[in-house]
Amino acid sequence: MTDNVDIIPHQDAIIRLENVSKRFGDLIVLDDVSMSFERGRTTAIIGPSGTGKSVLLKHLVGLLQPDSGHVWIGDVDMAVANEKLKYATRRRFGMLFQDGALFDSMSAGDNVAFPLLHHTTMSAEERRAKAEEKLALVELKGLYDRPTPALSGGQRKRVGLARAIIMEPEIVLFDEPNSGLDPLTSDTIDELIGKMKAALGITFIVITHDIVSAEAIADRVGMLWKGKLVAYQETSKFVHSTDPVVKRFLERNLGHRW
Amino acid sequence: MNTLLTLGQFGIFAGRVVRSSFTHKLPVARTIEEAYRIGVRSLPILLVISFFVGTNLALQGYVAFRPMGAQQMLGMFVGLAGVRELAPIMVAAMVSAKAGTEMASQIAVMRIREQIDALEVMAVDPYVYLVTPRFLGIVLVLPALTIISIATLIGSAWLVTVYQLGEPGGPFLALVWNTTSGTDLMVAGIKGGLFGSFICAVSCFCGFTSPPGPAGVGRATNAAVVISAVCCAILNYFVSEVAYG
Ligand SMILES: Nc1ncnc2c1ncn2[C@@H]1O[C@H](COP(=O)(O)OP(=O)(O)O)[C@@H](O)[C@H]1O
Ligand SMILES: [Mg+2]
Repeated sequence: MTDNVDIIPHQDAIIRLENVSKRFGDLIVLDDVSMSFERGRTTAIIGPSGTGKSVLLKHLVGLLQPDSGHVWIGDVDMAVANEKLKYATRRRFGMLFQDGALFDSMSAGDNVAFPLLHHTTMSAEERRAKAEEKLALVELKGLYDRPTPALSGGQRKRVGLARAIIMEPEIVLFDEPNSGLDPLTSDTIDELIGKMKAALGITFIVITHDIVSAEAIADRVGMLWKGKLVAYQETSKFVHSTDPVVKRFLERNLGHRW
Repeated sequence: MNTLLTLGQFGIFAGRVVRSSFTHKLPVARTIEEAYRIGVRSLPILLVISFFVGTNLALQGYVAFRPMGAQQMLGMFVGLAGVRELAPIMVAAMVSAKAGTEMASQIAVMRIREQIDALEVMAVDPYVYLVTPRFLGIVLVLPALTIISIATLIGSAWLVTVYQLGEPGGPFLALVWNTTSGTDLMVAGIKGGLFGSFICAVSCFCGFTSPPGPAGVGRATNAAVVISAVCCAILNYFVSEVAYG
């Protein structure tokens, strides 16, 4: 561990990665990563593209298995959990995928209501009402019946966001909520995340390669670089980091955005 | 080595589909939807192809038997070749070209666009959601399509026999009727169901394991037709061997 990784006490952690390693063929993507995520707070993970940020996120929900190490969600180890336990644990999560991962054959609203259809006994009207409420929360009021292919990039993300929170999960994961969006739309998404943070008390984990966005929404920032967690601190401390790798990344990234 | 690995993956895939199907409620409504879609979409092309295979069966049978003065054997030829062999494999080819490619490309697109991951994260089993209804649908519908294909083929052969070749239609139909037993129809139906299950399993597997990117979807779709056509052809030989050998 370097000086740039501040330890989170056990009792504050809702998720703990212990010595997680993952490789694809000869490519080592995660190299002995240990880190915890605090309950009820927002953590951003930054790093250049291709460093394994998405791979890390997929380990949390058991879409990928580590070659070695543990992924503790509460007292469930997703690294070894059987399918049944994995599916049960996933009910605690909501996730926004990089391009929304919406189903094109359904309307925007039916996408949002999809988890309700599968996990509740709500009637069609109740599902619609609930989905409309979440659509309003992401400022897409009235778009329930819009066909998914007709949505813009920013709208797709917001629909994905509404779907991610419809089951009122404890933990919400975001994979690059700002990628592919213009700065203005991107700020709107950040504001939405901020709004939900205040209102819902959820644990958010946000992956981004945009430090401005990370600074805007996160309580804590971690940086992945070449398969390692090179820094992990409170946001205010992180942005003034003296670590050469972090500094270089921050400077480049800020220069890029402004 | 690579083939062995893929076969192993296929085994795991099939095992997961079976296990998931048995541990979940059967998606009845979506099965009916799929059956309807597969049936209705494949029907026009199937009718056309069956019709024109029937016409040629009659023509070739006539060419073959006439020099021996045995053109009345035409009915037997159509019955044996058409009902027992051609119709089932033809249906398999058409359905793998139409429904199989659709399954493979739809599922491959869902794979590369992370929609299958999204299903899993939403705790919806993608095997049950995507594969089970397609599988049951195709297995239900293929025997019916096979029988329809047989009827079309006999009908068009009869038309050619009577109106083009000027042979009597009654004896033709009587011979078709006598050479094809109920068992033949049943075997053809069973072949249909069997081919359907292979087409679905192979096509869905190719979709689930699609390589990344749009090019990956193309490759997955292509592999789906080629592999399921080859599987069905080989399977056809063994079923015929068991039933008639
Ligand atoms: N399922 C997979 N199979 C093989 N390689 C993968 C797979 N998923 C990710 N990778 C590779 O792992 C590396 C990290 O990917 P990713 O986590 O998506 O990066 P990012 O930090 O941009 O999100 C990349 O080189 C990628 O090609
Ligand atoms: Mg990524």
